[in-house]
Amino acid sequence: MYRYDYIDRAFVEDRAAEFRGQVARRLAGEITEDQFKPLRLMNGLYLQLHAYMLRVSIPYGTLTPNQLRKLAWIARTYDKGYGHFTTRQNIQFHWIKLKDVPDILGHLADVEMHALQTSGNCIRNVTSDPRAGASADEIEDPRIWSEIIRQWAAIHPEFSFLPRKFKIAVTATAHDRTAARLHDIGLLMRKGRDGGVGFEVIVGGGMGRTPYVGPTIRDVLPAEHLLSYLEAVLRVYNRHGRRDNIYKARIKILVAQLGAEEFARQVEAEWAQIDHPAIDAPQAEVDRVRAAFAPPAFEAVTGRSDAFEAAKAASSSLARFARNNVHLHKQPGYAIVDISLKAPGETPGDATAEQMELVADLAERFSLGELRVTHEQNLVLPHVKLDDVAAVHAALAGAGLASANINLVSDIIACPGLDYCALANARAIPIAQDIALRFAAADQAENIGELKIKISGCINACGHHHVGHIGILGVDKKGEEFYQLSLGGSAAEDAEVGKILGPAIPADKVTDAVDHLVGVYLRERHAGERFIDTYRRVGLVPFKEAVYAEAH
Amino acid sequence: MKAIVANTLIDGEVVYWNAGVWVTRFGQAQLFAEDEVAESALAKANQPTSVVDCYVIDVAEEEDGYAPTAYRERIKALGPQNHPQHGKQADGGHDIDLIKQAHGIARSAGRHALIKLKK
Repeated sequence: MYRYDYIDRAFVEDRAAEFRGQVARRLAGEITEDQFKPLRLMNGLYLQLHAYMLRVSIPYGTLTPNQLRKLAWIARTYDKGYGHFTTRQNIQFHWIKLKDVPDILGHLADVEMHALQTSGNCIRNVTSDPRAGASADEIEDPRIWSEIIRQWAAIHPEFSFLPRKFKIAVTATAHDRTAARLHDIGLLMRKGRDGGVGFEVIVGGGMGRTPYVGPTIRDVLPAEHLLSYLEAVLRVYNRHGRRDNIYKARIKILVAQLGAEEFARQVEAEWAQIDHPAIDAPQAEVDRVRAAFAPPAFEAVTGRSDAFEAAKAASSSLARFARNNVHLHKQPGYAIVDISLKAPGETPGDATAEQMELVADLAERFSLGELRVTHEQNLVLPHVKLDDVAAVHAALAGAGLASANINLVSDIIACPGLDYCALANARAIPIAQDIALRFAAADQAENIGELKIKISGCINACGHHHVGHIGILGVDKKGEEFYQLSLGGSAAEDAEVGKILGPAIPADKVTDAVDHLVGVYLRERHAGERFIDTYRRVGLVPFKEAVYAEAH
Repeated sequence: MKAIVANTLIDGEVVYWNAGVWVTRFGQAQLFAEDEVAESALAKANQPTSVVDCYVIDVAEEEDGYAPTAYRERIKALGPQNHPQHGKQADGGHDIDLIKQAHGIARSAGRHALIKLKK
């Protein structure tokens, strides 16, 4: 994977030192909170309900074992022994003290990490496919271009004060695991007619108060012109995006108001006058980054592992884990292993320091030193030999990390919600815990099959409720928590915003409502249909009738 | 009734105002019967070198004492509900039990006051 060069290192160390000075001046009373707040936000430091929260950037969700060990150490030393992986492939620490932050940033810099651009109206962490470099059907490792974007976007002087935050996702397979169409810019890698690599460019997707599935503004952009084209998109947005109204400031509003065609025309006009060679990454730099993502040293092994087959035959729990958490790898004899951070009853996305250390060890021993974070708040060991899957499973089971529920009903995305977040209207975590416990029986969950439940504690939609097969949005009704359900959303290549089912329901009715929705699906489904397929065929009405039957 | 809540600047801990000092438990907070008195205390309490996010909250009378009215403020006084061993709730005590049991009459007034203050 990519390692910092001297420029990256000097820059990150410089910024950590700069923030140390800023914190000292704030504590000494030399600058006011109004002056300090934008500075701390630029360093990923928020104030939440109970403490400060530090959001650490994990570029395109890729981590080394040593980086994860450092995160575990920070969790144990400066937090309460755990961290929370987010829907932006980052990690948040929820119990941080301002006085410790300069030291923490120094420790992060030691392992080539930082918290820059995890807040504020700038280009945020670039997200990518957690299976990058391991998927059989990817055109090229999407992290190459994610890293090139990261370097371009890091303290980009023109785009550090945009009208609003800006999120870019890059994916290189037909199946989209990044929610690309729900990003400010989604880049889907495509093979051009000439055989070269290019991108379908999607602009103006997003969730939040006004959700949009982004339109495509260019079918194939040659990859070598990616940065100049992104520069053109950002310039049009920076010029015309609204700064007078925070609710209308995202690029999705601009694209919707201008129309995709007119927006694309303005981008092309801007692009035509940009000095491309001055902006686009030079070939030598592309080659350098590409080399950093060269495939690891896979062993030449056969595609079938007798040891794995025998272990599966002997253990139903391993067989279940293999069915749900183990996925096809491009290299014969290897597998991609998903580690669920969704044990029923636990907080979605949370990992203790001990769990992080165990996963770091497993990555080192069994995954060629690679680790990933998914936007669905799970972890991935991307390169595990089939021969080793049983050992990995056993080690995970010993740490409460072997839940075989990837993509099932209990693999729920939930934002921190009102338990932590200063913006939330309602709790998200206890709702997720309650639903997951209701469906904790593994056979039942497998029978239900793929079902993506996503929960947000407010309209900002960090929990991606708009694109849940079942979406759950917490709302505040006169100080009490209520939840609005929506159905039919999708974050995948068939992206869609869900439709609201009906009036919001109280917290203690949500799990029953989900139970009713699942009941309708089981009753109505045709062979081979997932929940979302049945919903698309039969529509909202039978689901609505089931949930609101008692009200009539 | 009203009380004044803030987070300490240096470590972000939730604190309550009581006659010139910051205390760490809601049960030790000064309660104000009159809005005007609370507002004038707020002007004194809002010391930018020691606290941030300082505002007046609504407090409701429960069977056996007082609790913050808004659900948000009750969580702030207790800690996250997914980790009962984290935050002020870990210490237990009568005031914590009382806030845990408080229900039914929640209003978002704490939140509204916050928004008003920021104008």
